[in-house]
Amino acid sequence: MSHTNRNFVIAYTLLVGLPLAGLAGVLKSGHSLRAPVAIEGTWKIDSTSLHTAGQSCEKAVSALAASSFLISQSGKTLTFTLQNAAQTSGDGSLDGTSVNVPLAVTDSAVQGCAAGQAVVLTGTIQPDSDPRSISGLIWVAECPACATIQFHAVRQPKAQRGGH
Amino acid sequence: MPNLFILTLQLAVVLAVCRAVGWLFQKIGQPKVVGEMFAGIMLGPSLLGWIAPHASAYLFPASSLGFLNALSQVGVVVFMFLVGLGINPRELKKEGHAAVLTSHVSITAPFVLAAFLALFLYPRLSDDSVHFTSFALFMGAAMSITAFPVLARILAERDMLGSRLGTVAIACAAVDDVTGWCILAYIVVLIRSEHSSISIWWTIAGILVFGLAMIHGVRRLLTGFEKVYRKKGAISENLMALMLLLVLASSLFTEYLGIHLLFGAFLMGAIMPKEAAFVRYVLDRFETITVTLLLPLFFAFTGLRTNIAAVKGPEMWMYCGLIILVATLGKLGGSTLASWLSGMPLREAAGLGTLMNTRGLMELVILNIGLDIGVISPALFSMMVMMALFTTFMTTPALSLICPKDLLHSAKEESSDSIPASVSLQNGQGAAA
Repeated sequence: MSHTNRNFVIAYTLLVGLPLAGLAGVLKSGHSLRAPVAIEGTWKIDSTSLHTAGQSCEKAVSALAASSFLISQSGKTLTFTLQNAAQTSGDGSLDGTSVNVPLAVTDSAVQGCAAGQAVVLTGTIQPDSDPRSISGLIWVAECPACATIQFHAVRQPKAQRGGH
Repeated sequence: MPNLFILTLQLAVVLAVCRAVGWLFQKIGQPKVVGEMFAGIMLGPSLLGWIAPHASAYLFPASSLGFLNALSQVGVVVFMFLVGLGINPRELKKEGHAAVLTSHVSITAPFVLAAFLALFLYPRLSDDSVHFTSFALFMGAAMSITAFPVLARILAERDMLGSRLGTVAIACAAVDDVTGWCILAYIVVLIRSEHSSISIWWTIAGILVFGLAMIHGVRRLLTGFEKVYRKKGAISENLMALMLLLVLASSLFTEYLGIHLLFGAFLMGAIMPKEAAFVRYVLDRFETITVTLLLPLFFAFTGLRTNIAAVKGPEMWMYCGLIILVATLGKLGGSTLASWLSGMPLREAAGLGTLMNTRGLMELVILNIGLDIGVISPALFSMMVMMALFTTFMTTPALSLICPKDLLHSAKEESSDSIPASVSLQNGQGAAA
């Protein structure tokens, strides 16, 4: 082997071979990592009920009820859109299996009724159910006297994205 | 049925905005394609949707995006064919050990650094529907790609194609692209096989048989196109249509096999005859409509999927900065180190590293595939798009700083024979991507 070829082999081993060995190590150690529960997609609400009927804001809070909602997920960060008439949406977070989304309510009836308080969607994911489901509440923050909506939703099978 | 009025309006707006921003970017010394990439982002939720949501909703209603996507994908299929056509593996052999080492390090360095970064980003920006291996490999492939056509364009504009730096850069970028696409094909198969009843081994076997048939069988038949061109100095419309049909057939086949249709288009281009005049002729026939109209649609579609607002808070912006840093360190640093160790003067080596750090449209193509197959989240997609824009944008000013033109001209040593066929990208509209 000539001097040039030997140098090439040494350089190649150091600059290409070693990093590739490192890559194998990274891929192996990455198997133990846990990513947040996947909840992206369309969720069909299969039951909604006024949890605390007869209380204030009942009509306004009922207007938030929807047949389904969309979640766009980037790790623990969520964008939530209720498929109601006003397409109520909000940016929220996922902590373990708990979802918390402050909704940006544009409906003046709800805003007036809730006296400036935030409307919040909270829920708990059942990650082991197939398909995944969520149970939760839509409620007015810091207003124990206000009506709340209780819901249960099931994630819809994901259509293959990108039209492929 | 598409709303023809909306679709035509979209075409007109996209064309006008891309041309205008591309022209402005040319005025500040950037390749036009960088401006067109920015124009696409401007038309999406990051700017138009933010400052004029009603206009944005009218111009790009959700129901119309499928048609826009379909049109843009046709453009990208033809573009990938042209990229494959411009790549000539023989160029690497001419450059010897230095180019082989530089090329391979310029892939492995960003790839491995991206995999390390994936350890940090996976629990933060991914979810449990994506395996870590797929996520890490995708990040690696996305960070190790080089925009071969943009690079050719920058080299042509700076009169560097005949320089040692230029020829090594072109050769390395060609190898990077082929390797990057092979890795990406594997990732797509890996992810799609998770949702498919067909075994991954059948898919891989199918791809290997198809690849071998293309390289050892179809390639020989394709020399007929070159023979006709050499004999008549032109190729008839019927033969051009046949060539296009072959591109579409190859695309359909790879899509059917479970990888992406773009791989078929790229492979068909890569196995086409490489005689420089023939390649120029074919590029000239296909480039105008692809580069002028269809690729801007792709930029617009990518822009519509990119939402900078999805990068929320200082923590996410820190991730974005980290992505840009790792991408630059891996590609620029790795290529510079390898070429310097191979005997290239430090300044030229740094110039090569800067060129290899150009990601351009190729990165956007890969990122769109990643978002389609669900391996990256919307926020990570936006961060990676910003990384692509940043690394492409920085190339020209960084190169001017590191390698002034007079220095390069003194280093010019190769004859025009060594200039790759892709130099047709220098003739105006070939700013391709």
